[in-house]
Amino acid sequence: MSAIGLKIPLPKSRHVLPGFGLSLGFTIFYLTSLVLIPLLALVLRPFELGLDGMWNAISTPRVMASLRLSFGMALAAAVIDSVFGFIIAWVLVRYRFPGKALLDAVIDLPFALPTAVAGIALSTLYAPTGWIGSILMEHGIKIAYTPWGVLVAMIFISLPFTVRTVQPVLSEIGRDMEEAAATLGATRLQSIGRVVLPMMLPAILTGAAMAFARAAGEYGSIIFIAGNIPAVSEIAPLLIVIKLEQYDYAGAAAVGVVMLAASFIMLLALNGLQSWAAKRR
Amino acid sequence: MSRRLANPTEDPLWLKLTLGIIAVGFIAIMLLLPLVLVFKEALASGVKTFFSAMVEPDTLAAVKLSLLAAAIAVPLNTVFGIAAAWSIAKFDFRGKTFLVTLIDLPFSVSPVVAGLVYVLVFGMQGWLGPTLAGYDIRILFSLPGIVLATIFVTFPFVARELIPLMVDQGRDEEEAAATLGASGFQTFLRVTLPNIKWGLLYGILLCNARALGEFGAVSVLSGHIRGQTNTMPLHVQLLYDNYDYAGAFAVAALLAMLALLTLALKSFLEWRYADELAASHRH
Amino acid sequence: MSLVVDSVTKKFARFPALKGASFVAPQGAFVSLLGPSGSGKTTLLRILGGLEVADSGSVRFADLNWLDMPARTRNAGFVFQQYALFKHMTVADNIAFGLKVRPRDRRPSRADIAKRVTELLALVQLPGLEARYPSQLSGGQRQRVALARALAIDPRMLLLDEPFGALDAKVRKELRADLRRIHDHAGVTTVFVTHDQEEAFAVADLVAVMKDGRIEQYGTPQDVRRDPKTAFVSEFLSV
Repeated sequence: MSAIGLKIPLPKSRHVLPGFGLSLGFTIFYLTSLVLIPLLALVLRPFELGLDGMWNAISTPRVMASLRLSFGMALAAAVIDSVFGFIIAWVLVRYRFPGKALLDAVIDLPFALPTAVAGIALSTLYAPTGWIGSILMEHGIKIAYTPWGVLVAMIFISLPFTVRTVQPVLSEIGRDMEEAAATLGATRLQSIGRVVLPMMLPAILTGAAMAFARAAGEYGSIIFIAGNIPAVSEIAPLLIVIKLEQYDYAGAAAVGVVMLAASFIMLLALNGLQSWAAKRR
Repeated sequence: MSRRLANPTEDPLWLKLTLGIIAVGFIAIMLLLPLVLVFKEALASGVKTFFSAMVEPDTLAAVKLSLLAAAIAVPLNTVFGIAAAWSIAKFDFRGKTFLVTLIDLPFSVSPVVAGLVYVLVFGMQGWLGPTLAGYDIRILFSLPGIVLATIFVTFPFVARELIPLMVDQGRDEEEAAATLGASGFQTFLRVTLPNIKWGLLYGILLCNARALGEFGAVSVLSGHIRGQTNTMPLHVQLLYDNYDYAGAFAVAALLAMLALLTLALKSFLEWRYADELAASHRH
Repeated sequence: MSLVVDSVTKKFARFPALKGASFVAPQGAFVSLLGPSGSGKTTLLRILGGLEVADSGSVRFADLNWLDMPARTRNAGFVFQQYALFKHMTVADNIAFGLKVRPRDRRPSRADIAKRVTELLALVQLPGLEARYPSQLSGGQRQRVALARALAIDPRMLLLDEPFGALDAKVRKELRADLRRIHDHAGVTTVFVTHDQEEAFAVADLVAVMKDGRIEQYGTPQDVRRDPKTAFVSEFLSV
């Protein structure tokens, strides 16, 4: 008896499961035609127009002011949301209290609520006659129709990102490390400051980066509350819309390219953060 | 009996109260107050005004258009999400991580930029605009443009939910089915789908909510033609800008109710199918 | 100067984890708490470490009302089953943690801390690994680092919660012998939780066999093995 002559034909495909070509082919086709090629149209536009023209379109005071406003306020909103997002995640993970499930569900409201609805609600709320606006008005603080209105809308829209990236990591790390810190003589503050926060840092930064990206690109909820005063409370996405309405495609594309470049940088930063976090596991 | 000491990882009461009040207060003022205001304003001029604003023909047209756009965009993105997750989770190939990053890309792009790129492709100064105009095909300022915008901004929702879930579940079951003689389609339908159905539903739910609520991208591409190319969120803006606050908040309340329904369903899925969804939420 | 545990009880929600556990151990003894899961051995250890609060009962150690002290001031080195090493710190920073968090007047100088870290790494037989991160170590190495970290604070008491539970048989045996050697070297009172009777008997001076929140039998390994006092003990040991 010899088994040498027995030849099992190898399947033509290297893959055990079927559908590789079809599923990957469709994925790449769909992604390319609907996302990548249109994005390429934007990326190449400045080259069609000449880089000088693009620079001229961007370097006007109005455009520069709008970019500063969008990115500056987005950074502020990301920082504020990171702080409150961490506190909210901490309360949701560590404390037990009635109504916790409801509170947890409400966090996602800015994801679910259409931005236009959020926009008119925030605008009405913070207007000088609104519930919050009228109280602040007594103290001489104006929010609606000023750059601060932009900040308020950004804080609203980005909050879920910070809570939802920190929360699962916090519940996964458990209390072992804090217990170890306590038995080694650390005070509560030391164990939060030296153990919990550093361990949570990748998650906190990831949440902040996502919050920043969302806030910088946000349009719907902001334009109602901002007042949209050129060079004061006019955000970059609105400027793109205005330029498109004036058929200034080159100008719109120039601002769009800057916004897109920022998105790419944030995406790279996020990927970097992810692999950093993975390494420390 | 010893003096009562606290557990070392238990925060002292004063800290619990402080952080609890900060968290609840922030959520109440930042998130709940705007929501309450929407319903209060919607009913401010009476229930009758609310309902008459609802059945106004332009509003109904907006509702219809929004539903139609979502009805096209959501199934397409669902098919895409399944295909992407199948290829990424069940096979090894080079550039996989890069592909996953590209799929996530629309999330980090401003909705207005999403609208802009289609204008640059399909506009009269764009790549395809003049050609398509020759055949009398309109993309911008009509339904196709609105659908494209919706697809772009909701692009990753289903894929994002399914990829980590299916990666987590591995390939064993599908491979077992294949050795038992099941065809690819049978394997997917009978083995994979039952394992991912709640994650899939979850992704579709989020995709749909965003599709119905999208404003920025659609705003760039729709042309804002009242009664024709105005979706619900755009109609809210139109009414608000025309000082028809009762009407604007009536439509807004309808959208807010949809949002609350989405949140309720989402929480239910998270609670009921926590195990299956957990994989997606670790990422 | 002995450890006196007297009628300690603890209830979780409705489940009574400890129903009055008592034992006495002389200074410097090595005690094993042995029992099946749910017998309350880990709860008792965590109460000794200050990680849980007892409902009633008392513990006296070195003339201290042990249970009145917070975990932070007990100076009891605790070794966890899943290591609980600080993942974002190097091995050296992990071991030095307990020294670095001391108030300034009791904190050793940087040089002294570094010297202590080197000594401890030699003691647990991991010389030269100061700059590694926990993720770059094997399970056995991680637990050695955790042991060094617990010893760094010159603990009054060493508490180990199934420290070798996550390791394979060969590494367990090596570590077990090293643990005994380190215990004898440091002379510190040690309480060691395990569900593995071979491990308990091999390493300890005194064994407490636990069941349902009570200590069924307490004595030297020889006594317990030769003369099981209850049906449960004899059955548990025969497995």
